[in-house]
Amino acid sequence: MQKHSDEALVAYLDGELAADERAHVEAWIGADPEVRGRLLALAESASTLRTAFADFVTDPVPERLIAAARGETVSPTEAEIVVLRPRRETAAPPPAARWYIQLATAAGLFGLVVGVGAGYFGSGTLGPVKPTPAKQIQTASLNNWLDNAAGDFKLMVNAGDTLVDVPASGDNGDVLQKISQNLPQQVRLPDLKPWGLSFRGARLVVVEGRPAAQLVYTTDNKAIGPLALIIGSTKQPDIAPTFERRQDLNLLYWRHQGRASVLVGQSEIGYLWGIANDVAWQLDAI
Amino acid sequence: MSSRWNYGEPPEGAVPRPEPVSKRFSDQLIAVLPRLRRFAAGLTRSASEADDLVQAACERALAREHQFQEGTRFDSWMFRIVQTIWIDQLRARDIRKEDGDIAEERLGTDEPVRRVEARLALSEVRRAVSLLPPDQRATLMLVTVEGLSYKQAADVTGVPVGTIMSRLARARMALQQLLEAGVGERRSARDAEA
Repeated sequence: MQKHSDEALVAYLDGELAADERAHVEAWIGADPEVRGRLLALAESASTLRTAFADFVTDPVPERLIAAARGETVSPTEAEIVVLRPRRETAAPPPAARWYIQLATAAGLFGLVVGVGAGYFGSGTLGPVKPTPAKQIQTASLNNWLDNAAGDFKLMVNAGDTLVDVPASGDNGDVLQKISQNLPQQVRLPDLKPWGLSFRGARLVVVEGRPAAQLVYTTDNKAIGPLALIIGSTKQPDIAPTFERRQDLNLLYWRHQGRASVLVGQSEIGYLWGIANDVAWQLDAI
Repeated sequence: MSSRWNYGEPPEGAVPRPEPVSKRFSDQLIAVLPRLRRFAAGLTRSASEADDLVQAACERALAREHQFQEGTRFDSWMFRIVQTIWIDQLRARDIRKEDGDIAEERLGTDEPVRRVEARLALSEVRRAVSLLPPDQRATLMLVTVEGLSYKQAADVTGVPVGTIMSRLARARMALQQLLEAGVGERRSARDAEA
């Protein structure tokens, strides 16, 4: 019986009980102070356990494991722990003058809605010539999205908290409610504390011509933050997570089930992949 | 719940540089490496042993890339590979001897009393996890640390959900007792020094 009780308590904490079982356990907890104490102790030990292993997802991944994942072999002398570096296979950075245009564009976008890809064909970043205008628009739209995300991030870093529309507070649910009033769907806030990232606030920006939320996170660890996560709705097809560079910024973007997301910052690419993985999981799982 | 990265092939034109499937597979693998390391760290007794385990899992995953089913969870598939290799390694050794060694090591350990309290506590937690039976250890890491549901953990370990429930409850209770015992030992050591 004791064993069954322990199982029920643990399953209750893990959210694995059906409604009737949950009600039964809650009645039991309500009636017995000793059980309430056990429940609290179990919750605390679970939290301690997660903290004890948190370093393994924030520490740099050893080079030998990266090589193994790529099907390469690394000699023992090379198999030292190094911080993941971004791949340099992207095209050369655009001319510096274009960056100012992007910043100006990003500044002008604050609170505005810009048509998908409109007026952006002069950017020179379309890559190989596509045969159809539809594809050109699609690619330009993507570049526009990423350029704006990078520009928004630069603005946020340069201006600090003054640009945050809704600063973080004790009740982040209230923050999200406020920012979501201007969006087509409720925004959810991924918890990135295991990465040492603290939520600082939210801004309204534009993704693919639609208002979106820019969630701003900061940390003392310069290998990870500051970092911005932009989440908006989209009617575009899904895209698997893809890495891009914009000058000194790393971006990981993906579209999934009507939601367009981009992580942007100067974070090491290894961290960015891990955080993006965490974010994608949380947004799907919540 | 949907899988994390298995969103299907990106539409032509949407991604500037379409990538071959094998590279995409490697990218998925790299993305889960931090969590695989964490899971492996909970199963093994040292970071280097954990990394050896993850490296072996990467090599096996690449060799069996064709066996991964699109639309299923990539992380669960990798957790299963890590766990399978780990069990093979345990079987190759003498499990009883290994667990006995751990217990003796714990009994004979003289932790420096002046270590930073928080770090000591965290290392004690990891040590406590290593004292659990292998099946409880794996279940605890999958559910409580990696956040898998009972059903997903059952799929990874190949046991019924009911078994996951009982293993998890035993693991959580045992962990709590070990942690409380560790705190008691530290207090005794401090009192003795004072």
